[in-house]
Amino acid sequence: MSGLPRLPARPATGGLRSRRGQGRQVLGYALRRLIYSVPAVILASFVFFWAVRATFDPLTKLRQARDPGVVRREAARLGLDRSVAEQYFLWMKAFVTGDWGVSTRTGDSAQSMLASALGTTVQLVFWGVLFAGVLALAIGTYSAVRKYSLGDHVLTGFSYLGVAMPAFWLGLILIQLLAVWPKEQFGLAQPPLYFVGLHSPGQSGVNADYFRHLALPVLTLTVSLIASWSRFSRASMLDALGSDYVRTARAKGVPPRRIFFRHALRNSLAPFITVVATDSALLIGGLVVTEQIYAIPGMGRLFLDSLLAGDVYVLLPWMLIVAVAMVLFNLAADLGYALLDPRVALR
Amino acid sequence: MSQRTEQPARKPAGPKQATVVCGVALAVLVAGCTGSDGTEPGAASHSAVPVKKGGNLVIGAEAEPDCADWISVCSGSIWGTYMMKTQTIPKVFDVRRKGPDWVAKASEMMAEEPAVAPGRQQKITYKLHPDAVWSDGKPITSADLKYTALQIRDGKDIFDKTGYDKIASVSTPDAKTAVVTLKEPYAGWRTLFSGDYGVLPEHLLGGKDRHKIMKDGYRFSGGPWKIQSWKRGSSVTLVPNDRYWGRKPTLDKVTFQFTADTAAAFQAFKSGQLDALYPTPQIDVMEQLEGMSGTNKLVDPDTGNLEALWLNNDEFPFDSLPVRKAVAYAVDRAAIVKKLYGSLGVEKPSQSFVTPMVGQYGGSDFSKYTRDLKAVDQEMKGAGWRKDKDGLWAKDGRTAAFTLVSLAGNKRRELTEQILQTQLKQAGFRAAIKNTSAAELFGKRAPSGDFQMGLWTLIDTFPNPALSNTFSEVSIPTEENGQSGLNFIRSKVDGLDPLLRDVDRELDEKRRASASLKADKVIAENVPSIPVGTVPNILLWNKRVGGRISLNPSEGPWWNLEEWGVAK
Repeated sequence: MSGLPRLPARPATGGLRSRRGQGRQVLGYALRRLIYSVPAVILASFVFFWAVRATFDPLTKLRQARDPGVVRREAARLGLDRSVAEQYFLWMKAFVTGDWGVSTRTGDSAQSMLASALGTTVQLVFWGVLFAGVLALAIGTYSAVRKYSLGDHVLTGFSYLGVAMPAFWLGLILIQLLAVWPKEQFGLAQPPLYFVGLHSPGQSGVNADYFRHLALPVLTLTVSLIASWSRFSRASMLDALGSDYVRTARAKGVPPRRIFFRHALRNSLAPFITVVATDSALLIGGLVVTEQIYAIPGMGRLFLDSLLAGDVYVLLPWMLIVAVAMVLFNLAADLGYALLDPRVALR
Repeated sequence: MSQRTEQPARKPAGPKQATVVCGVALAVLVAGCTGSDGTEPGAASHSAVPVKKGGNLVIGAEAEPDCADWISVCSGSIWGTYMMKTQTIPKVFDVRRKGPDWVAKASEMMAEEPAVAPGRQQKITYKLHPDAVWSDGKPITSADLKYTALQIRDGKDIFDKTGYDKIASVSTPDAKTAVVTLKEPYAGWRTLFSGDYGVLPEHLLGGKDRHKIMKDGYRFSGGPWKIQSWKRGSSVTLVPNDRYWGRKPTLDKVTFQFTADTAAAFQAFKSGQLDALYPTPQIDVMEQLEGMSGTNKLVDPDTGNLEALWLNNDEFPFDSLPVRKAVAYAVDRAAIVKKLYGSLGVEKPSQSFVTPMVGQYGGSDFSKYTRDLKAVDQEMKGAGWRKDKDGLWAKDGRTAAFTLVSLAGNKRRELTEQILQTQLKQAGFRAAIKNTSAAELFGKRAPSGDFQMGLWTLIDTFPNPALSNTFSEVSIPTEENGQSGLNFIRSKVDGLDPLLRDVDRELDEKRRASASLKADKVIAENVPSIPVGTVPNILLWNKRVGGRISLNPSEGPWWNLEEWGVAK
């Protein structure tokens, strides 16, 4: 959803004056952003609808039954005998009234399938972003403060490596190194980390079993995030450390620790959060490989299964959910930016 | 049925069409398993390991079914059959080995073998076992057979009505007797209430929305297991059916964990997270097997899966018999099979379109087609072809060039295609590989005849010969038959249809087999397509697993799951 409109954040000329005024401004800004996003989402959804309808046949499965009557009835029921524009309008009308249709693959409600998959993916994204965010910030900050040191060079090297590694390959390497090998090497009854699903059979909830299942997929999805975010964090911190206000603070004799935490870190966080939020939105629909390797029934796997089956009534709302996530995360990023950097006004 | 590419779901063929073209029903693929019911162990069986009572096993499942309403269109994955249907739905016939053959044998649900009264209107009398009950304690009755038959015959969105569409009536003279009257003789009558469908409980489903009750997994059972839960995207868990009147399971619970990624599934098996695997035999599976020690494995080529080169008899250059014969001589099928499965001990190509599971109905007439470039020259020159400056056969300004289509992303098939391409080029043919998705190939291109040469698998899931589905002229998809035929290759072989009709209608097994052998011979003489090899089934299990383990080509690797257990 790169084409979504995004208001520029500009230096404030008289922006956030009172807490009440600030609240009103933030709310108004958020509403405006959401309204502006609607046309973009609709346009994107139409393009996607057109592409999906041109590519996939929702009746593929029915055609296997080779009963022309069944195919004709279903085609009429789904409105497939109409133009793409008409079909889109009908689908969108049903969508906004809460009728997301039924999966042609499973016969289940698309709504329930997506809710279940989204819930699973959100768990992965939450833990992944938390882990990667904290670690990337720490690494980036260290690299910036120790610029051109041996540690900085080593971490830079690892970052490039992390960005370059394909998820499927990394996942299999991690499985071998952190689960299969220790089990075989130390003669364990079970591997220290699991890699099939998010729970062992018969288990549920957030417990030790859950975290033993979660560790490897989270690690897989975070390696590249840590790599890229740490580079961004480093650059952002270097900018902050080289800024006029830091030099001024140093000249005034402000203690280095205070300069770092009160001035440099806070200001470097704003752009960092923007990147984190944007990438997090991408993760909502982008964990196809990770979810496939670890047999996790999330949004990525649902997308893949639906795509292979030509299950358009799941693919379409899937796309809308990802698009809306992009809008919301972008909005959250801008709001976070403004809250962290008082120079930024929301308009 | 056949296989989906990236997510190889295995779907059994419909009742009549025990044989289905792999992609056609777009579901199946390697239907495999083997087995023995105690009559005689299968070729691929493992000596029974003593087990203790109780315990749980976790088995990897590489595909998740779309639904558990077994008679609905959505029940396309054979994994659903293996995991849930076989374990919970009673059927009239089991598939068991008898000597070298796989045969249909009356199941524990039956009091006796069904009786068939031949005639213009064939009557089949089913006597149900008095002890046979559903998991709620209600008896399995003739009303259940009637309900099932009519649901399939008259229902909408039914996966396959073959055989059921011949039912004129079903009467129920008493609770344990059902009489099915067919409109005409039907040699494949044993597939009724067997094969893909079985028998459903009328007292629980009658007058209700069957699909709604069953599609996400159901609570009733007439088999040794019950479905405890089906967590979409995650797992299916079975627990014993305490009311099962036959042999009860040894285990307390079995979980089928969906693990679509083959490499990760193997790692999970090696790490002990999965106790057993039944992987589709792709190239990487072979590689994984070679490096795997300390585990048990069964590899069985005695399957219902037959990979073949399908030639479109309506399309240039395969509209010419000499060209089809020349191609048959150009291809070294033995080398291909050895390359693909040699490491598993499978080296012989198929010499018939009849799969090993119904081997008694097939001959070995294709054995005359071994790689012989002189024979290629002879056939081609005899038909007026001459080689051009590029070494390709040419005639009337056209060269012997064509496209070869299979399923994209299937490494085994891609390797096969590359070998074929080289062999064909050496013989003067140019094959361009143009692979596509299963949906495209079996949903559109193959049915409409939009291909020249194809590579896919034909599957038998019940010991019932069904060559007519693939080769009979009336099975060519047309407007008249509602595009329902499976003769995608548009074969029209003189004298073949009467023989195939005999195979479909002849109730005397000897005469039926004789007709099938004759048909097989006629097919080999006319080379409407070329069989390559059977696709072996592979079952892996670790040392925790005990019991009598063997493969059954019809009912799946877990055909006798009640006998599996935790090894002592």
